[in-house]
Amino acid sequence: MWKLQVCGAGRAGDGTNTFAQLLGKILKDMGAWVFIWRDEVYSNIQTRDSAFGMRAADFPIYGPEEGFDILVAFDEGALWDWTREGRIPPIERLRAGGVLIYDSSPRLEYPNTGHEVKEELVASVAEAKGLKVFGAPFGAMAKERFGNYIVRGAIALGVLAHMLRLPVQAFERQFRRLFNEELFRLNMDALLEGVAYARHEGWEVPDLEVRLDSAEADGRQFLMGNEAVALGAIVAGCRFFAGYPITPASEVLEYMAEKLPKVGGVVVQADSEMAAIHHVIGASIGGCRAMTATAGPGFSLMQEAISAAGMTETPIVIVVSQRGGPATGLPTKVGQEDLNETIFGGHGDFARIVLSPTEPEDAFYLMGTAFNLAERYQCPVLVIYDQVFAQSQYTIPPLDPQRFSIDRGKLIGPWGPPWRGDGPFRRYLLTPDGVSPRAVPGTPGITTMYYNSNEHNEDGYITEEIPIREAMVNKRVRQRLAIIRKDSDLPPPRVGGHPEASIGFIAYASLYGPLVEVVGQLTAEGRPAKLMALRTLWPFPSKEVRRFVQSCRRVYVVEYSVGAQLRGLVQMEATGPMPRKLRSILRYDGRPMTPQYILRAMEDG
Amino acid sequence: MAIDTVARPISAADITGPGAWWCNGCGDFGVTAAFKDVLLSVVNELGVPLERVFIVSGIGCSSKEPEMLRVNAYHGQHGRSIPVAMGLALANPSLVVVDFGGDGDTYGIGMEHFVHACIKNVNMTLVVMNNQVYGLTKGQASPTGHLGLKTSSTPYGKTIRPVNPLKLAIAAGAAFVARGVSWRKKELAEIMRMAITTRGFSLIDVFSPCVTYHREPGYRGSGAIVDWYRLNYVVDIKEAWRRMQEQVFSEEERSRLPADYDPTHHEAALMALRLIEEAAKMGREVTGVLLINESAPTMAEALGISADRPPALADIAIESNLAIYREWLAELR
Ligand SMILES: Cc1ncc(C[n+]2csc(CCOP(=O)(O)OP(=O)(O)O)c2C)c(N)n1
Ligand code: SF4
Ligand SMILES: [Mg+2]
Repeated sequence: MWKLQVCGAGRAGDGTNTFAQLLGKILKDMGAWVFIWRDEVYSNIQTRDSAFGMRAADFPIYGPEEGFDILVAFDEGALWDWTREGRIPPIERLRAGGVLIYDSSPRLEYPNTGHEVKEELVASVAEAKGLKVFGAPFGAMAKERFGNYIVRGAIALGVLAHMLRLPVQAFERQFRRLFNEELFRLNMDALLEGVAYARHEGWEVPDLEVRLDSAEADGRQFLMGNEAVALGAIVAGCRFFAGYPITPASEVLEYMAEKLPKVGGVVVQADSEMAAIHHVIGASIGGCRAMTATAGPGFSLMQEAISAAGMTETPIVIVVSQRGGPATGLPTKVGQEDLNETIFGGHGDFARIVLSPTEPEDAFYLMGTAFNLAERYQCPVLVIYDQVFAQSQYTIPPLDPQRFSIDRGKLIGPWGPPWRGDGPFRRYLLTPDGVSPRAVPGTPGITTMYYNSNEHNEDGYITEEIPIREAMVNKRVRQRLAIIRKDSDLPPPRVGGHPEASIGFIAYASLYGPLVEVVGQLTAEGRPAKLMALRTLWPFPSKEVRRFVQSCRRVYVVEYSVGAQLRGLVQMEATGPMPRKLRSILRYDGRPMTPQYILRAMEDG
Repeated sequence: MAIDTVARPISAADITGPGAWWCNGCGDFGVTAAFKDVLLSVVNELGVPLERVFIVSGIGCSSKEPEMLRVNAYHGQHGRSIPVAMGLALANPSLVVVDFGGDGDTYGIGMEHFVHACIKNVNMTLVVMNNQVYGLTKGQASPTGHLGLKTSSTPYGKTIRPVNPLKLAIAAGAAFVARGVSWRKKELAEIMRMAITTRGFSLIDVFSPCVTYHREPGYRGSGAIVDWYRLNYVVDIKEAWRRMQEQVFSEEERSRLPADYDPTHHEAALMALRLIEEAAKMGREVTGVLLINESAPTMAEALGISADRPPALADIAIESNLAIYREWLAELR
């Protein structure tokens, strides 16, 4: 088993993201499974510290590990808490005996002048951690030879290429994809400069050399969670997207803006989240499969509309990408604090479905299910995940659009035969299964389709009469939830590990990734463990969860929420309190949980 | 594939709903009567199939308009009818989308959407039944309530100045801006007809008096509030132009401007804004068609959507799109 974890650290604007991207893509081309995440990103555009992590392995990985093998530092912030605010710099995450490569030239450009990596600092940490240290004047080389400070990233890549034995052709291919001819030459030259430098200095790290077999890599996708969600939605037939920019959901809007117009769809950058979700309601009534994507603050603004979609029985899909809260909270960092709002938000009782993908392959196909369920049951479907899933890049097996099937439920459209009902079209017709026909406006013969957010009769007109109110509530809530629960398309939990294990873990969204490794490691150590990642969160999979918990002696519910919202749901919907059996592993500092973090928390508690 | 059907002649009975339980004498009845006339002519004379008409409303007495009708409709949340209407208009530009709201609905809680709809020039018609109060919540002052207006939420008289929706709509670039009054049905119907056939965003702010909660000193009894409006509050834009142009515009300006007020004149916005201000000095509000300007692209046009290939009818079958999906998957490698 081969694996490698590298951090590129500097300030925002230093190109640490591009650095990690290129390194990751090259390793991926060589056959590695690569995962790239935002190790340290603040809600600022320039000058704050910024670090990107890149993990590669010759087996599938869905998250970071603890401990970098290599840290490439472009700024002193990589080595110490220069702002003195209790920040834990990336050097703390470099493993003992690891490799530190740094830019030894002065920081030449405003506003970061003076913040170069200082020799004394390097000496002290190198000694303390037993590091192998390699300093080269990347910045000065970039300025002198290329007249362009930013290519110091490419020079640093060259140094790494030599030390890890990465073939130059692999870089050529990626540079071609990324740059125009001029920038291609510039970056290739800078890269070769770095290679030559490291070779001349005789820098070697034999234990980190890359050992990969590219045989299977062809066709694997490399993409962000948000991209998988957006493309999955398009393949599912979404042709209307409205959204308002917000981290960590904006990539969905951006991807849609680029692609939807090319398949006859439309994207609206709305004037607020309230506007966005009401556009989506309008478009859905108009006959589109329609979606929005948001995060914490924007999601709160949508609550009234979600309730309206429930009452009017309008199918919509809402993507909720969670960050640390409450309020503005930690805009660029991970959280799972909006689960309760997703399941219980919006006023009044109405049917809804809440799904959650574990990784991008799962997400891609799950979007097909989300749209089918929304139209089949004419209710809001929420797809919830978190910042780590949303904005990390994963390597996954090839995706296949032909695995999708589109079911529009009881929607009548001008594509079908003209509607011939006896009497007027009744939007809320009471039917045996409780779901009424719905039509695309403009369908010949349908002129009396009235959606109403007031309590209504079968024709859609306002009424507060007791028998009709009861019939409508039963149809919309009880009967609907009952048939939803029976639908075999509801994604079942994803289970893994040793089936007979007595230690269990329950989680959702990106935490699936580290838990796969946790149960693998525990089982290998002779302490069999298993995991259950929930992919349908509402209606809650009570039976499955209860059975899982019953089969274990101890169950850890792992989540990014100090309020332990998922554990609360497990207790409320499946197990009851079970104070001795159920334990929480929580993290709420906005940083991703690694397998090691979870294992430590387990031993501690 | 555009939706293409043939209109069939319809009668008033075909489009009449069970009713909205409005107070006797409510101005909204007048608005409804005018709209039904327009709907009949849009279907029977202009040949728009009734199934292509879609009504949207928010929450308020006025937003109960769909209860008065029998047409395809969405009756949603307070202040949010406009973004729903926008979604419909973009999903399928071949629909005739008419939005009915109140003054609280549109210029209070929904102001954000109102201004953006004007700017974005969505092809839809917005009819605001402006009664200076929040009727459905029992008569509190609304953003259009005039200074000094006494209501349950302004017991000492309103001290916050009112919003002028016409000025806002003109400044924000609406294609059609008009003010109607509920008690002149023919004129209101004519305005509605023009608004519906104008390409782009049309605002019709209608003085539609609330006979139950809008009280003015000295005006008692049913119908009195209409008199208050007629006698004290409104002035027709054409008449305002005739009477006030000399005091408002310089000779040089008048030499370029038409003799009679013309909403299609390229300087109509200028004329309207100055007349609104001048009328306000006398405590009056203008009525009539202020502005028609179809020069800007509609939101759908700006986004490249057309009525013959509406997103709502896009072919979403996997097989039809497989080549492009595969291309996009290849990019994500
Ligand atoms: C979000 C929200 N806030 C408040 C209300 C209560 N509400 C219902 S109607 C209304 C005011 C209606 O006034 P207006 O829009 O002027 O319509 P009118 O009744 O005067 O025709 C209010 C505040 C609501 N339904 N929703
Ligand atoms: S309260 Fe006023 S606005 Fe409402 S129905 Fe009565 S008169 Fe009309
Ligand atoms: Mg009102």
